[in-house]
Amino acid sequence: MGTSDNTFRNFIRKHEKTVSFSDKPDIQYPIGIVEPSPCMEACPAGVNVKAYVSLIAAGKFHEALHVVRERNPLPGICGRVCTHPCETYCNRNQIDAPVAIRALKRFVADYELEHPIPKPQKTAGTREEKIAIIGSGPAGLTAAHDLAKSGFNVTIFEELSEPGGMLIAGIPSYRMPRDILKIEIDYIRNLGVKIITNKKISGKQDYNKLLKGYDAIYLAIGAHIGKKLGIPGEDDYEGFLDAVTFLREVNLGKPQKPGEKIIVIGGGNSAIDAARTALRLGSEVNIVYRRTRQEMPAEKEEINEAEKEGIKIHYLAAPAKIIGENNKVTGLECTKMKLGKPDESGRARPIAIKDSEFIIEADVIIPAISQEPDLSFLPKDHNIDISRWNTFTANENTMATNIPGIFAGGDAVTGPNTVIDAIAQGHVAAKSIERFINGEALEQTDSRTKPIETEIKIDLKNRPKTKRADIPMQKISERKNSFQEVEYGFDEATAIAEAQRCLRCGPCDECYICVSDCHKGLSVIHSKNGQDDYVLRLPPDFQSNNLADGNLHGILKSANGKDMPIELDSYIPVVKEELCRGCGDCVTVCEYDACQLIQKDGEIFVSQIDSDLCRGCGTCVTFCPSSAIQPSRYTSDWLSFKLKKIDPKKRNIVVFSCNWNGADFEKINTSKYKNINFIFIQTMCTGRIESTFILRALEEGADGILIVGCSADECHYEFGAKRFAETYAKVQQLAHMLGYDKYRIEYKTVSGKNTDKFVELVNNYTRKFK
Amino acid sequence: MDLVDQIKATNAYGCLECGKCTAVCPVSLFSQRYSPRSMLTKTIRNEFDSLYIDYDLWSCLTCRRCDAVCPANIDYSTLTQIVRSSAQDSGFHGKCSHAGAMELLQKTMTTKDLKQNRLDWVTNDLQIADTGEILYYVGCAPYFDVFFTDLDIATLDAAKSSVKILNKLGITPVLMSDERCCGHDLLWNGDVENFKMLAEKNIESVENTGAKTILFSCAECMSAFMNLYPEHGFKVKPKLMHMSQFLAEKLSNDELNLKESNTDITFQDPCRLGRHMGIYDEPRQVLKHNDGEHFHEMMQHDKKSLCCGVSAWMNCDITSKGIQKERLKQAKETGAEILAVACPKCHIHLTCTMKDKFVEDNYHMDIRDISTVVLERME
Ligand SMILES: Cc1cc2nc3c(=O)[nH]c(=O)nc-3n(C[C@H](O)[C@H](O)[C@H](O)COP(=O)(O)OP(=O)(O)OC[C@H]3O[C@@H](n4cnc5c(N)ncnc54)[C@H](O)[C@@H]3O)c2cc1C
Ligand code: SF4
Ligand code: SF4
Ligand code: SF4
Ligand code: SF4
Repeated sequence: MGTSDNTFRNFIRKHEKTVSFSDKPDIQYPIGIVEPSPCMEACPAGVNVKAYVSLIAAGKFHEALHVVRERNPLPGICGRVCTHPCETYCNRNQIDAPVAIRALKRFVADYELEHPIPKPQKTAGTREEKIAIIGSGPAGLTAAHDLAKSGFNVTIFEELSEPGGMLIAGIPSYRMPRDILKIEIDYIRNLGVKIITNKKISGKQDYNKLLKGYDAIYLAIGAHIGKKLGIPGEDDYEGFLDAVTFLREVNLGKPQKPGEKIIVIGGGNSAIDAARTALRLGSEVNIVYRRTRQEMPAEKEEINEAEKEGIKIHYLAAPAKIIGENNKVTGLECTKMKLGKPDESGRARPIAIKDSEFIIEADVIIPAISQEPDLSFLPKDHNIDISRWNTFTANENTMATNIPGIFAGGDAVTGPNTVIDAIAQGHVAAKSIERFINGEALEQTDSRTKPIETEIKIDLKNRPKTKRADIPMQKISERKNSFQEVEYGFDEATAIAEAQRCLRCGPCDECYICVSDCHKGLSVIHSKNGQDDYVLRLPPDFQSNNLADGNLHGILKSANGKDMPIELDSYIPVVKEELCRGCGDCVTVCEYDACQLIQKDGEIFVSQIDSDLCRGCGTCVTFCPSSAIQPSRYTSDWLSFKLKKIDPKKRNIVVFSCNWNGADFEKINTSKYKNINFIFIQTMCTGRIESTFILRALEEGADGILIVGCSADECHYEFGAKRFAETYAKVQQLAHMLGYDKYRIEYKTVSGKNTDKFVELVNNYTRKFK
Repeated sequence: MDLVDQIKATNAYGCLECGKCTAVCPVSLFSQRYSPRSMLTKTIRNEFDSLYIDYDLWSCLTCRRCDAVCPANIDYSTLTQIVRSSAQDSGFHGKCSHAGAMELLQKTMTTKDLKQNRLDWVTNDLQIADTGEILYYVGCAPYFDVFFTDLDIATLDAAKSSVKILNKLGITPVLMSDERCCGHDLLWNGDVENFKMLAEKNIESVENTGAKTILFSCAECMSAFMNLYPEHGFKVKPKLMHMSQFLAEKLSNDELNLKESNTDITFQDPCRLGRHMGIYDEPRQVLKHNDGEHFHEMMQHDKKSLCCGVSAWMNCDITSKGIQKERLKQAKETGAEILAVACPKCHIHLTCTMKDKFVEDNYHMDIRDISTVVLERME
């Protein structure tokens, strides 16, 4: 029994929901619902991590990027700076180390740069309505992206000279190269989004213009005002520069050394960024943080790099007083701390140790403790609810403020937070704005802002340990005075190997390739929230005794009445080990590398088919000399079943076709041919057609056999048609030797999906038998 | 005859459970599961239901290695054939390799008014006739060579060489354009009915040619005419000779002379030629003629020879490959360059393993039919 079959059965068993076939109410079939994997659950934006990681493992990089983009319009950016909660929740944590998901995302984004695909077309403007967005950070950009895709006219107003929000004003270029930022913002611009820079919305006039001229407003202004330290001396001396202002100056103005000896106060990303930036500009840098390294909110990787680069971090040290001389800062007095009981944030509360004061010398102090939004741009009578942290109060499911038509999101709502949360809120806001404009209820949105405990239980025991790929980095010595990107990307081989570490938690990879690949729309059952009630319906001509029929599929009826056709079993063949000779012919045949020889014992090797890589063409089945590969469809029993329809009283024409050339047997006017009995046999790929299929048909009484495939260079499976050409050459010779006339077997190809051509070929061939 | 009587006729009930069969069986040597003794025990206990679905019912090579050592004189190979045919009657089939292509070709050849083009390979330089005293029975080599294009194999060389030799000796052999598969494989797989149809057609065709002698390059075809046809009630009148026998006779009558060759050579005894028909000496006489020192025996030879690992296109698996590798190793160890064969099946199966990508280079040998070897050494 194949692994894929098992997975499917297990998954049915696990989710046991009984449904009935509408036209066969007596047969009951259980059907299930696919649960998301922990990584996807953990991602605030709901990016389908497992899907794109699986696609990377299969070498399908563009497809992987496509999956990322579905929920995240900024893949190259998040691939560099995302705080990757997905990795925190990755099941691999319980075995060795999480899959390097962020770096994999970066890899596919970078891959597209080297292997470009066509840019998206403009989508904005198919609808009349106009939407104003204030702020071009990730929250604003994401909403703009989604809204433009829905056809709205979107304008972003940005106070700074460049778009990107904190991505450009805060995050330094050695982590976030500006060309990447530009490319991803241009991608959104291509959809038709207008971005007006150097335009601060300010005062009553601007605000009223927006209210009048736009159908909805989205406030995504971020949090850019540095908070004060609240210690003595803060207002007395020169030599203060809050982190955000400092970074903005460096990033968008003139990069200048802030001072000789500087102290950064705080433990978040902005503290580390300010420190590493100052270091690169030539300062000697100390960081002062109240708790220990464990509690530091900045990314651990970032802290490591900062220390490696030569930044001294004073843990358990709280600023007590600024020391100065002649109006200028000369140092900071700190108190040593120890950790006490956890406070309401769950982190241990630092307690001062008596008489432990010490002084660190400095000429500049950069506080990086927190930021809040700058709300001064609003007119006094704005009436929008503001929280006690000076942020907008918005409904967390809809991002709507108390004023209809005004929405808010990102740091402006949450306070300083993360890029991926801003993106998530951008999506929610866009959805709500669309609903608002359409006059629909807002409260139905699929917001998922917090990771939830997932229920997927996969067996983690006995899983072999694998090493997580190290992320390649610039040498420490090369980083001095340089704003070159510190991290490098994976190469292809590393990316594939790393992606292969993924456990594919849950029953299916959810890559949706089947959905987009299958022209019949046979797709895998899918429901994320588990609320839909699915009914499985088999096609009217279904008979339970024709399970051998390769075309078994069902139609899924969801609660909302929409029909969704589904595929019940996989097409993935299985190697019957006792028959396998370990000759490796299948390894040669399958150009998807799905067949692999694994060592059984001693010198004995047997083939195994990787169900993730296999695309189900069935070519290996045809070419295995030992008949060791068992197809789940298109078996010889199935062929016999089909050939039973040969009618000795008529002339019989057997038409073989692949699944992709647009062949549609129903389009053939069979009633036109009174004396002819047609038997249509469709396989996934002509590669599955064995010489025996054809010879058997002849032997059983077929008068003519027509095979219609795709031309070799257009074969859906790339190598199937090429292989069938070999089979055909053999069959022709064998049939000739057996004395069959040449015209009795004919092989034709169709270019593209061309039903008319198919019909024409069948008609032409049939005419020979009139 | 009912099943039990048929079984009785093989002496199966006299089994002493000594296990000698399993000790010598090449399949048992490479498969941990397979034991002729236990298969036999199951048979005489009438455990047919489990036998019919047993993969290993189809593993036996019917090579008669066990029969040769059995103290109770049991014909285990025939017993296997009997159980297989009763399995087929009950609707059970073994797993044919190559998706059953060979079996299908064999069955197709039972078609009544078949008009084959099976002599397309006969070029103008070969003299052949429709009627005459000496008939050369080609066998299915023309089909094999097409089907095994990928192996780049030429089993037809045996036929081409044989006809050339005959022509050189002034003989114009009869080649039958309506020759059919001999049915050997079908019978051993238990398909008695189709086997009989082929036997009948072939005998009829042979009679039409007026042949007095039939020559074979294929040991299996010959064993069909020699043993299987008569066993199933078909009389075969002409004298039957394997090419090796024919050549040996000509050499000893000095009608033929062979040059000395400087190439070391060894010989693969086909199980059909050796243990099924008792022909061991003639191929050796031919190969050693005028050149004894270049002939080398493999570790297992004559009666103890190891078969080529697959029979009747069934169960070609890792066990088969194990046997084939072992045989190639033995051949290689003789130091010979050429491995002479006297059956196209040995030729195909050993070549397949030799060309297997996962078999090391040091198994490579020059495999040729005995007639091809002789033609090259003819003066
Ligand atoms: C130094 C630093 C490093 C960081 N590192 C990371 C990291 O590694 N990973 C991570 O996930 N997060 C990081 N963050 C946090 C992340 O950058 C923010 O959470 C995110 O950018 C918030 O997005 P936003 O769209 O809500 O706001 P922002 O990105 O702040 O964008 C808001 C924009 O609105 C504009 N604006 C404000 N008011 C007006 C107005 N009146 N008119 C016109 N325009 C206006 C601003 O100029 C700004 O461009 C970091 C933050 C900082 C400061
Ligand atoms: S192992 Fe793969 S599917 Fe599972 S949580 Fe990690 S990345 Fe996601
Ligand atoms: S082609 Fe067949 S016998 Fe050869 S390795 Fe693959 S599965 Fe095994
Ligand atoms: S050849 Fe086709 S069916 Fe076989 S493993 Fe490869 S993709 Fe799957
Ligand atoms: S006939 Fe040959 S293969 Fe069959 S059991 Fe006897 S020794 Fe083994």
